[in-house]
Parts: sequence; structure tokens; C-alpha cells
Amino acid sequence: MSPTLLEEVPPPRLTPVEGVSEALQRRWGRPGGRAYAVLRWTGAAVFVAIVLGLLVSLLVSSSQAFGHSGLSFLWSGTYNATKDVYPTGVYIVGTLVTTTVAIVLAVPIGVATAAFLSELAPRWLGAPLSVLIDLIAAVPSIVVGLWGLLVLSPVFARHVEPFFKKVPLVEWFFHGPAYGPSMLLAGTVLAVMILPTIVALSRTALSSVATEDREAARALGATRWQVVRTAVVPGARTGIEAAVFLAMGRALGETIAVAMVIGNNYALPHSLLAPGATLGSAIINNFGEASPGLDRSSIIGLVVVLLAMTALVNVGGQLLLRRRLRAVGAVA
Amino acid sequence: MPRGAVARRARDPRGGHRVRGERLTRCSTLALSLGAVALVAAACSSSTPAATKSASKTTTPPTTSTTTAGAAAGSTTTTAAKAGVTTTTTASGAHTATTQPPASSSSCSTSGGTLSPTCDTQSPSFKLAGAGANSIAPFFTRAFYYFNQANKAVTVNYSPAGSSVGVTDIEQNTVNFGDSEVPIPTPASGTSGNILQVPVDLGGVALSYNLPGVPGGLKLDGPTLAGIFLGTIKTWNDSSIAALNPGVNLPSTAIVPVHRADSSGPGYDLDQYLIDTGGSAWTGSAAGTTPSTKWPLPKVGVGEQLNTGVATFIQQTPGAIGYVEYAYSLEGGFTNAAVKNESGSFVKPSQSSIAAAGSQASNLSASNFNIVNGPGSGTYPLANFSWSLIYQKQSNSNLGVVLGKLLDWVTTTGQQQAAALGYSPLPANVAALAHQTLLTLENSAGKPLFS
Repeated sequence: MSPTLLEEVPPPRLTPVEGVSEALQRRWGRPGGRAYAVLRWTGAAVFVAIVLGLLVSLLVSSSQAFGHSGLSFLWSGTYNATKDVYPTGVYIVGTLVTTTVAIVLAVPIGVATAAFLSELAPRWLGAPLSVLIDLIAAVPSIVVGLWGLLVLSPVFARHVEPFFKKVPLVEWFFHGPAYGPSMLLAGTVLAVMILPTIVALSRTALSSVATEDREAARALGATRWQVVRTAVVPGARTGIEAAVFLAMGRALGETIAVAMVIGNNYALPHSLLAPGATLGSAIINNFGEASPGLDRSSIIGLVVVLLAMTALVNVGGQLLLRRRLRAVGAVA
Repeated sequence: MPRGAVARRARDPRGGHRVRGERLTRCSTLALSLGAVALVAAACSSSTPAATKSASKTTTPPTTSTTTAGAAAGSTTTTAAKAGVTTTTTASGAHTATTQPPASSSSCSTSGGTLSPTCDTQSPSFKLAGAGANSIAPFFTRAFYYFNQANKAVTVNYSPAGSSVGVTDIEQNTVNFGDSEVPIPTPASGTSGNILQVPVDLGGVALSYNLPGVPGGLKLDGPTLAGIFLGTIKTWNDSSIAALNPGVNLPSTAIVPVHRADSSGPGYDLDQYLIDTGGSAWTGSAAGTTPSTKWPLPKVGVGEQLNTGVATFIQQTPGAIGYVEYAYSLEGGFTNAAVKNESGSFVKPSQSSIAAAGSQASNLSASNFNIVNGPGSGTYPLANFSWSLIYQKQSNSNLGVVLGKLLDWVTTTGQQQAAALGYSPLPANVAALAHQTLLTLENSAGKPLFS
């Protein structure tokens, strides 16, 4: 086989279509066109202004806290000088742990559901199921939180948490008393909240896998399950990863539902059954009572840390996606 | 069926299937959605905790307080959660009408004049916004409802987001009145000048526990409570608890101490009590010697938001012990500890034992407000007055008149609503202090609003 067959064909050079720039100029001359251009630029400017304004105001308001304790703020925190110091590090650990639990629970279930919906489900079941999943996405977090507190928490205390304590190998993660509010419960509530995001986005990714890939797998004698496993899911991997990163962003930043079920204990958690705190829950529990000055500045410092974490996840996700897309040649 | 459809079906042999399939899909979507709604409804009606129960039995007075005033009040932190959680329990339905509308007297003017219980419900039309203590919310909800019954022109929205929110909101002048379980250090002032602090109710803090098989009235003293909340006393059959309770069959259940995740008046009272009586174990810990509305030991046990959150947790968790405003404990039907008072007797919270605590306050003021661990053998040691906060100088004198009359009514006639909810009526000297304080209200020119 001649190697030239596999060589990439250079993309055709794009030449401007004749008359377009003249048309644009003509449109600029019309009042409607001018309004449109102004609108476009204003929209862009407002967006940039919001992001910059947010960043600047957060940094200014938290400067006192960072000035007070420098980088150690990231671990030991500052505020409430007269009482115990509430360490930022504990909140960061809590945030990472609950998010991890949520991702571990939600990703397999979410991707499996998405694969079922896009590949296997008959229409009479798939359509209503999608509606239900979208319904979960529309449930406000306060409702999920209340449900977690009133319904899930007793069930966890009586059944789920004692069960995990007996499972060999993982029991180390589940030692200590089981009384409902815990990192595990918070992670579970978060998993419920991010599940719709994962399902909806993964499903789109799965159904946009080329039919030829499926047919090729079929032609090689793959069963239905093998088609999904070997052709469809790998083909949609990039999209699924994007879904996971988006979901992770939401799990990191969730506040009120977590505050209601995590147990708000500011000690370093020793087990998944221990109550804990996340950045979001700490912010919501303490901001209302913060006195002006170092106290309030420290809490805004927590906001900055949270923002940085979500930004890191976003940027990390985008870099990963970019690399993958480049690997398959989708972007230059 | 229209002819076209028949024709289409005839042309496309699969058409019929498709039409039927689509209809089936639509039907199943509808059925599943309905099923989901039914399930949610069932789950809501069957879940036990007090919050839901009272929500379903409540006939919320249409004009009363609670909820969403937070946003209107401009409170930065009144989250949906705080409002949402509290609303359900605080609106504990007003069933019995005990208040008589005052005989309309011609000497009562709506624009100031006399400040007296007979004239209090004669005032200009106004919608008031208040924010503050969560502990007083059941009383305020009921009292404001009856005030509105007596004077339809005045409605009050009270957002029970917590004492500190009440303080911040009044200091920034985003509400008409604030309320705090702990008064602001005097002299109090905010963006609009001097702030008056008016005692409006007398409540107690219950130490409620969930210990199946153990009746209410378990005896606990300062050092034992300190040990429980420090995490050094870990089980209910610990020798220090057993020593105080001979004859009580204590289980070996683990103790789960629950505290408020937000700052609170009840937490302040318990902190004060433990500083007084808990010994060096307490004062030598992170708690220190200055009482704080923010719970000083957040690294022990579980933290929950507001009285409702703590109450729900106690209800759900065998082995739990926590501090809640007595009104919430009463509504939840909790078992409460008998706490050792200054004269050495163990007293359970009740209307009379809390009233006994209040009667010790012979020299009450916003700077001398502490009645924790007061003297007297029948005195419950954990009690406090709740303080409403208003600006002395009212730029809108109509508003000032309404506020003055409302709070004067709350501290006099309105106190009739207190007992049924687990609060104790204000002692006469405290009601008089409230009245005297309200008489100092001024208009923008500095003239007194009332004579």
C-alpha cells in the first residue's frame, strides 16, 4: 500500500467569498446593523467586566486575611482569633473527599445510564427516563438537601453506614460511629445532584459516535454489549470526560445541600463516616455571623480558595480535552 | 382518524407502528412523571421529623411573618435554606384566639401620642420587615399574627435567620427591626445612629437528648456537660453521668453531642453556663473564658443549622444530645435534662423554672443582661431575654410610631401568646424597662414620638 494514501490531505485554503465584506459594510451603514454590532461588543465587555470585577473585589476583600497569615492561610486559616482557629486545610480536604465520593458514585451510574439510554433502551422507556433525569437536574439544591437530611440521613445511620463498616478491605474508610450526617452522606447527596449533568452530556456524546463505528464492530461479530464497550464508549470518551469535569465543578462548589448533611465538624476527618466540612458549607455557615475585618476577610479568602479550585478543575479539564482532541486530530 | 393519516399509513407500512409507538412513548412519559410526583408526595407525607409534621398540620396565617423577608430585608446571608428550614417549624399554627382587640378609645391617636396597651393596636398602615434570632421565631410568628388580627393595617415579616444576621441587618439599616438573643455591647449604634435594645421575650435553653429507655430529667451538671461537649465523656453509662443518676439504667450508647453550625443565642447561654460551672476543663479548652455565640468547639460532634436542624438531628439519632431553645424542644416532644443550678438542685426547663430565672433580673439592662446560672432553688440555669433592636431616631415618624406600638404590644398584651409555646411572660419590671426604652423613640427632629 502506498504511504501517500494515509497522508493527511491539507485543508483547503479558505478564500473570502466575494462580496461578503462589502455586504458587512453595507450592513454597518444601516441602523439595525450598527445596533447589532454595539450589542455584540457590549455583551462581550459586560462579561469581561463581571469576571474582572468579581476577581478584583474578592481579592481586595480577602487581602487582609492573606496579608495576616500569608500562604499558611491555605492550611491553617485565620479567622475567629479569640476562639479555635478553623483551618482552611480541613475544608479543602472535605471538599476534595466529598467531591471524590460523588464522582465515584455518579460516574459509573451516570455513564451506564447514558449508554443504556442511547444504545439499548426502547423508545417507550428511554424518552420518559430522560425526562425524569432532567427533572432531577431541575430540583433546587435546598430540596435535595432537605431530602438528604430528613429521609436519607436516618437510612444511612441505620442501614447504609453500618453495612459499609462490615465490608472487608474498605472498612478502614468507614470506621467510627455512624450517625447519618457524614462525608459519605454529603458525597451521596452531591452524586444525586451531578448525576443528571453526567447522564445528559454523556448521552449526547454517546449518540454522536459515528454509526460506521457501530456497524464496523457489529460486522466483526460483536454482541450488543461488546459494541457499546469496544466501539461506542471509547468513541465518546472525550465527551464523557467533559461531562465529568463539568459535574466535578458543580460538586466542588455546592453549598447549602452539603451544609445540611455533612455534620459541620471542623476537625480533620478520620473516616468517611465522620462529619466534616467543605469550603462551601463553611462559607455559608459562617458568613452571616462574620464581623467586619479579619473575620469577614478570612471567609472571603475561603471563597477565593474555592474559586481557585473550581478554576483549576476547569482549566485542567480543558487542557485534557484539548490534548485528546489534538490526538484524534480534531483541532490543530 | 383524518383521511390523510389513513393515506399515510397506507403508503408507509411502518407508519401505524410509529404512530402507536409515539403515543405509547408519550403515555409512558406522562405516567412515569405522575408516578414520580406521587412518590415524592408520599415520601414527604410519611417522613417523620417535626419540621414536616408541623408544616402539614399548620394553617399558616396568611399575613404573618416567617420566611422570605430575608431578601426584602437585604440580608446578605438569608439563604433559602435558612428560611426554608425554619419556616416549617416556626409557623406553628395559631389555634386559639386569646387576644381581645382593644376597645377603640377615642384618645388613641394613630400618629403617636400615648404609648399604652389600649392604644398599641391603633397605628398607621405599614408593612414591617424584621430579621434576627431563630429562637424567638415561634413566639414572634404567633404574636405578629395576633397583632395583625387586631390591626389589619400592620403586617410584619420576620426572617428568622439568626441573631447575628439581625444585628448586622439593623446596623446596616436594611430592616425595620432586628432581634438578637444577646444584646449588642452598649452604647449600640449603626449607620442611622443610636440603637435601642428592647427585651421582648424570656426563653430557656433545653438540653435535649434521645436515649430510648431513659426518661426525661436525666441529671447533668456543669463538669459533666463540659465533658460531653468536649468529647471526653464518650458513652451514656460513663461513671460521671451514672454518679449523678443513681438508679437510672444507663445504656452504653455512644454520646453524639450536636451543636449549632451557625452562631446562636442558645449556644451563648450554654457557653456562659459552662464557663461558670464547667471548671478548668472547659475554660482551659478552646472555649476560653469569654462566652461566644459561635460554638467554641466545632471539632467535636455534629454541627447543624438553626434550632430546627439541631432538633431534627436529635430526633433522628439515638445517643444524641444538643441544646435547643425550649420552645423547639417542647414542640418536638423531646426529653430534657435536669441541669444543676447555682443552689445545687437539678431543674428541668419549664415555663415556671424559666420564669424563676427571669425574676432574678432585678437590674436588667442591655449591658447587664446575663441571667445564666441565676440564684434560687427552682431556677432553671439556662435562660435569657431576647432583645429587639431599633433605631432611636426614626426618620419616618409614622414608621417609628408603628414600631413603638408593635413592640410595646409584644411586651404587654402579646406576652399572653408566650406561655403556650414554651416561653415565659416577661416579668413586670422587664416589661416596664421595655416600655421606658420605647418612650425614648424620636422623630428625625429629635422630638419624642410618644408622650
